[in-house]
Amino acid sequence: MKIYTSKVDTDSARVVVADDMFLTKDMPTAAGSKMLDGYMSLFDAEVLTRLSDKGYVLGGKADVGEFAFDLIGETSYNGAVISDGKLTTASAEILKAGEAMATLNMDVNGSTRRAAAQNGLVSIKPTYGTVSRYGTVPVACSGETVSVTSTTADSCREILDAIAGHDDKDGTSLPTASCEKVKSAPAIRRVAILTSMTKGADADVLAKLDSVKAALTANGVEVCEIDNEVIPTARVAWNILMSAELCNNVSRYDGVKYGYRAQSFSNIDELYTNSRTEAFGELLKSTILFGSETLSTDNYMKVYDKALRIRRVIVEAFAKIFESFDAILMPACSALAYTEADIKENKYLVFEENFYTAPASITGLPAVVFGGAQMVGRSFSEMALLDLAKTCEKEGK
Amino acid sequence: MRYETVIGLEVHVELATKSKIFCSCSAHSFGAEPNDHVCPACCGMPGMLPVVNRRVVDYGMKAGLMLNCHINRTTTFDKKSYYYPDLPAAYQTTQWFAPVAVNGLVEIETSKGKKNVRIKQIHMEEDAGKLVHDIREDTTHVDFNRTSVPLIEIVSQPDLSSAEEVEAYLERLKMLLRYAKVAECEMAHGTMRCDVNLSVRPEGSDKLGVRTEMKNMNSVEAIKRAIEYETARHIDALENGTEVLVQETRRWDDIKGKSFAMRTKETAGDYRYFPDPNVMPVVIDDEWFESISATLPEFPEVKKARYTEELGLGEYDADQLTKSIALCECFETAYEACGSAKDAANWMISEVMSILNARKMTYDMLDINGRALGELIVLVSSGKVGRANGKKILAAMFDDNTILPEKYAEANGFIVSNDTGLIEKTVKAAIEADPKAVSDYKSGKEKAIMSIFGKCMKELRGNCDPQVLRKILIDTINNM
Amino acid sequence: MERDTLRRLEMLNQLSLTDAQKEDVIAFFAARDAELKTLEAIDTSDTERMVHVMPIMTVVRDDVIIKTFSREALQQGAPETDEGYWCVPRVVE
Repeated sequence: MKIYTSKVDTDSARVVVADDMFLTKDMPTAAGSKMLDGYMSLFDAEVLTRLSDKGYVLGGKADVGEFAFDLIGETSYNGAVISDGKLTTASAEILKAGEAMATLNMDVNGSTRRAAAQNGLVSIKPTYGTVSRYGTVPVACSGETVSVTSTTADSCREILDAIAGHDDKDGTSLPTASCEKVKSAPAIRRVAILTSMTKGADADVLAKLDSVKAALTANGVEVCEIDNEVIPTARVAWNILMSAELCNNVSRYDGVKYGYRAQSFSNIDELYTNSRTEAFGELLKSTILFGSETLSTDNYMKVYDKALRIRRVIVEAFAKIFESFDAILMPACSALAYTEADIKENKYLVFEENFYTAPASITGLPAVVFGGAQMVGRSFSEMALLDLAKTCEKEGK
Repeated sequence: MRYETVIGLEVHVELATKSKIFCSCSAHSFGAEPNDHVCPACCGMPGMLPVVNRRVVDYGMKAGLMLNCHINRTTTFDKKSYYYPDLPAAYQTTQWFAPVAVNGLVEIETSKGKKNVRIKQIHMEEDAGKLVHDIREDTTHVDFNRTSVPLIEIVSQPDLSSAEEVEAYLERLKMLLRYAKVAECEMAHGTMRCDVNLSVRPEGSDKLGVRTEMKNMNSVEAIKRAIEYETARHIDALENGTEVLVQETRRWDDIKGKSFAMRTKETAGDYRYFPDPNVMPVVIDDEWFESISATLPEFPEVKKARYTEELGLGEYDADQLTKSIALCECFETAYEACGSAKDAANWMISEVMSILNARKMTYDMLDINGRALGELIVLVSSGKVGRANGKKILAAMFDDNTILPEKYAEANGFIVSNDTGLIEKTVKAAIEADPKAVSDYKSGKEKAIMSIFGKCMKELRGNCDPQVLRKILIDTINNM
Repeated sequence: MERDTLRRLEMLNQLSLTDAQKEDVIAFFAARDAELKTLEAIDTSDTERMVHVMPIMTVVRDDVIIKTFSREALQQGAPETDEGYWCVPRVVE
């Protein structure tokens, strides 16, 4: 277990800690993988440059699960972070200890949202394309975003504002005019609860959902229950897309150019295979194999192409709901704590728990986690979502 | 039974851009230090994102238009995955689902006449790096300079049926792509490489035989030999059952003159293509499309027809000039500057092309200033500079394409002198030195004064109108 | 999933699993396979695939050479280099 992979001593009040998924030229970046142990990037992630230009201080790097797509950081080669018997993330521990005003995370597969929900933090996953991914370790590029987590909605807003905006170095970065739309997003007045998206959530989670609902209602936000059949399938489609992209993105780690190289090999295939086999963790290996299989000639149309079509079906389903509602309230996880026993029992729990986080991942829609619940909004509504989170924060106090 | 050979080609052509396709490293690896044109993106490090080089799309489009293709106005990039040390990210970004150009047609001409070869598609992609095997015995050295250099792959339909047709097709591709200035297409430099897919079937059959592929062929001669060998091997197998043909990749050994089955991995060919999430679709709007189609060169045949019909050049001259776009452009500019198509063509063919040949340069390497050539032609035809000195100036223009012919002639004393006093003095001295030639001339041997004429010309360093010299020489002798 | 498929996938992805891991992966694949049915139930015959969630197009860059890092910098973390090259065991061509 490790909280910081690098730590900087500072007296600044404007300290931000980045997950070890953000490349830094002055500190190593391992992305939670033995494969990249000690890896030194030659350049800094764009978001870190923007923060430092605005006078924020990088207080260090927080350990993450291997390539940050796991349940809650448990697959780091440094071991899981456990606090009071609960699995948690290094970032969440840093925030709870008051050591940073915010953390930067890569929301690849929802672990950062789950950690925020379980630790009473606020986390914002902005609209896909509004924050540059230049200098982040790529995993599931079609849906992953930089996200910001803090103890308050205000700090999330401040940091998000500092890092968002077009970047020429990222071909998926939205033009400035689009990025600016976040500033004029209308306030959220009508919220839908998707009943099928509350499935599987335990009583504690549902209680959190209820109190957020109560806070919303108290603030004049209308909350209705509706249902939709396709949004719950986001998980299955996302598992396919994420795994395939991950498989492709981590194929570059082969023991040749940098990173871990096995001691023993007698030919090129052994060099590749032994290096990857020795350096990669089990969840990563399984996911690579699954992702690879979704792209095989026999499966491509049936599996991968199908998932790409389902993505559109889901995007359209959200669009339909957003004709009548401004946002959708749902859990971010099934339980308010995971234990080591949960993982032991089901190594692949994340492929089920991402039921709650996949809809926003696969669509690129913004999502905010606060009060132990999650709210997904229209594209560019992140600041409006944070406004609402702030209102509800006050309610809670 | 009679057999026919069915051949399809996949031709890789390196595009002549300055920088690489997805990053800003130099795309010119020839002669560079190993791994000197490399950045984190093109050596497979995490974190950099691909940004498409506009000129690659320009050139892809141009190539498509030259080969009469339909241009996909929305064209996308895909990832192709496999492990090999020359592929640093273990995937190649290429075009699988929506290539830039499709459904083209190339006309070729062989001893059997004209024929159309259909183009299935042209896609843009990144090149792989280079492996060096001869530094250490147990080690392969990896150089990523060539990684991500832009390529187009031109995929033909199986419309070719002989080595001769393949040669004509490759020559035609070279010519068209060089005309459009999108590529060097020099097999010896590796800027054009070729995969040959070949099968054999009984003549008249509409069913294709078992296909073999020979990859990375890098000379037309080797390709021709390989096609002949493979055709014979296939026919032998079909006729005599010497072996069972299997669909496979074969390596052509040009020294042994044989092809060999390559050991391939069980997983070979399983490339798991999928659309690249990091490269958004490239949308070619009307403005972009027209800016490219407007700059397409005349096809060689069109130029040739114009040279003969409008400019009055002979068939042979037009043929020579249209061998390369560089020759055409130099000729056209020189013609514009001197006003005489015949003089310009004459200088191009007898002087410019012979210097290129003597210097072992290809026609495309011509890099003299056409306007200056035009001025030089005027200087010589107006008698201001002698032809021999004119050639010297041209040679100098090959070494330095900023030379202005008139200034250069002045600086080097190549301007024809009008100083008749000097000519008379020179003639007198020459006559005195060779009384025998004079008496021979006077006794009727008219040719006898040629040696005196030559000596005078040499003495005057060519800067003398030959007519004037001749007149003064004859007058002087007659007055003696 | 067939054992053969798994072996092929391991080769394809340059991984070698222990027998215990193989059991895990087979179960993992079975679970993923089962959930695929929820997608098959949705008719997508009239739906276009969606690769990019944002409907933007590529912004191309100018063809300009920019030299960023030296070879020495790029190779500082390399497992093995020689005379400016990265090195691997000999690849027989």
